[in-house]
Amino acid sequence: MRKFKSLARPYFVWMLTLVALPLVVMVVLSFMKTNGVKFEGAYVTLENFTRLASPSVLVGFYNSMKFALIATVLSFLIGYPIAYIISKSNIRNKFLVLAAIILPMWSNKLLRVVAIGYALSEYNVLRSFMNTIGIDFMINLKGTDLAIVIGLVSSYLPFMILPIYTVLEKIDPLLLEASKDLGANGFWTFWKVVFPISLKGVATGVIMVFLPSATGFAVPYVLGNGNYVLIGTVIEDSFKIGMDYNFGSLLSLILIVVIFGALFLVSKVDKEGETLL
Amino acid sequence: MFTKLLDALFDTPNKAKVMGVLSSLFKLFFVVFVVIILYLPIFVIALQSFNDSRTVFNFGGLTLKWYEALFFAQSAHHNTEVVITIQNTLRVTFISTILSTILGTFVAIGAHVLDKKRRQQLILLNNVPILNAEIVTGMSLMLIFSLMLPVIPMFFGFWTMLIAHVFFSIPYVVLSVLPKLKEIDVNLYDAAVDLGCTPFKAILKVIIPSIQAGIFAGMLLAFTMSIDDFVISYFTTGNGFENISTWMYGVIGKRSLSPVVYAYNTLLTIITLSVLLLINLKGSKRQKPEWLKSKSYR
Repeated sequence: MRKFKSLARPYFVWMLTLVALPLVVMVVLSFMKTNGVKFEGAYVTLENFTRLASPSVLVGFYNSMKFALIATVLSFLIGYPIAYIISKSNIRNKFLVLAAIILPMWSNKLLRVVAIGYALSEYNVLRSFMNTIGIDFMINLKGTDLAIVIGLVSSYLPFMILPIYTVLEKIDPLLLEASKDLGANGFWTFWKVVFPISLKGVATGVIMVFLPSATGFAVPYVLGNGNYVLIGTVIEDSFKIGMDYNFGSLLSLILIVVIFGALFLVSKVDKEGETLL
Repeated sequence: MFTKLLDALFDTPNKAKVMGVLSSLFKLFFVVFVVIILYLPIFVIALQSFNDSRTVFNFGGLTLKWYEALFFAQSAHHNTEVVITIQNTLRVTFISTILSTILGTFVAIGAHVLDKKRRQQLILLNNVPILNAEIVTGMSLMLIFSLMLPVIPMFFGFWTMLIAHVFFSIPYVVLSVLPKLKEIDVNLYDAAVDLGCTPFKAILKVIIPSIQAGIFAGMLLAFTMSIDDFVISYFTTGNGFENISTWMYGVIGKRSLSPVVYAYNTLLTIITLSVLLLINLKGSKRQKPEWLKSKSYR
């Protein structure tokens, strides 16, 4: 089979063109002032770097980190027990349980966020429907921090549950028995055996929740009524509205450095990317 | 009543029993809580797709008119704009799913036989679009496509979106196929070649069938990622070509979404679910006993 090595070669070229080349372009752009990607009349400057200290960028970074951290911690606190319950349960068809967790992801992401926005508004179809069967409740959260957190957790929770579940499911039951035989009770078996093994699933889950929460711009835009500045919003504005490719490139480079740091950490824990799916 | 419960709690023989009941009650509440978190938007979307009232603010009885409007142009609520964006979405998704499944499978086969160091490099590169922020992937592709504009004018639109979708879908296929390749017996391929297969035919006849579960999982993931992609599509489209997500983003905050969108979304969820259920039913019937699986006697 070794002759099929050549099948992988074009993929290196393709990935380098679409992953590495843009990096080079971004580095060049972030040290210049250009008109989009047109280099006529362009000059080399450091003004993009000085703009990093502007309030909107700082607030954007702060907000992104804040929301992503809260969403990740909450997703972990909710996702780990659920993954554990599923892996421990004696339901025969676990496929169905997993399908139930993934099912919401087949609805359009953006529409789901819009729907959460309605569900968290004072008047919405759900409340109106509940009224017809005699139940009333009032939630008016849209535009608040909490709404954004709910939106993020609801959108990204499956990404926390699935990798943790994958690892928990693979744990050899003999290990648990051995731990029991050596005198550990349920708690110590969990803390000394199960939890350390499941950490690589947790690492993947944390990254899969943290990164999209920190860099997305649709959730805060919809659920925050457009009043929140996040790093994603700043980048989106600089490319789509301001046509300012230079500053946008610099911000993206900063994000890339952070992300690659995270990727490096995960590759330390999980060498072949087994828990990614 | 309450004291009895407390007594029961601290009475050692009963303690385990009570704790058991309490813990399963707690588990139940917890699961219900998670289901609410995950399904809240789905309830709202499904409800609105059957809502007789056009606005999402009140419920006006059940109807199927939005589903009718999705399929029939003569329907009073037909919305050409929505239908065209849905067609665009489906076109991009189907083509990119098929392309990335085929290409990803071959890349995975290639990667599987690479030496360890090269393979790890490939996996690292492969993980980039999965782990990278969508906004960074989107703008990276946009930069490359913009640089190609002088060569291919009016490039942005269907083709750029398709290339982008293939780009971020292949990694998912590679990642789901690779573990299956690890499980198969290396001698299978050699046996096929010894028995007179050409190498390519051996791949088609022996390798592909034994990794088909992985290929299918990868295809499903590629489809899932492509059908509702927003951020990357948003950065790589242009010249008026919109998929459902980018179109919705433009509409949000300006006017209310037509319930036809909700109907499309509900229908899509139902279809995906039923395809999966069907496959699961079929799969569980012909599942082999554990000892027959190649892993155990290798």
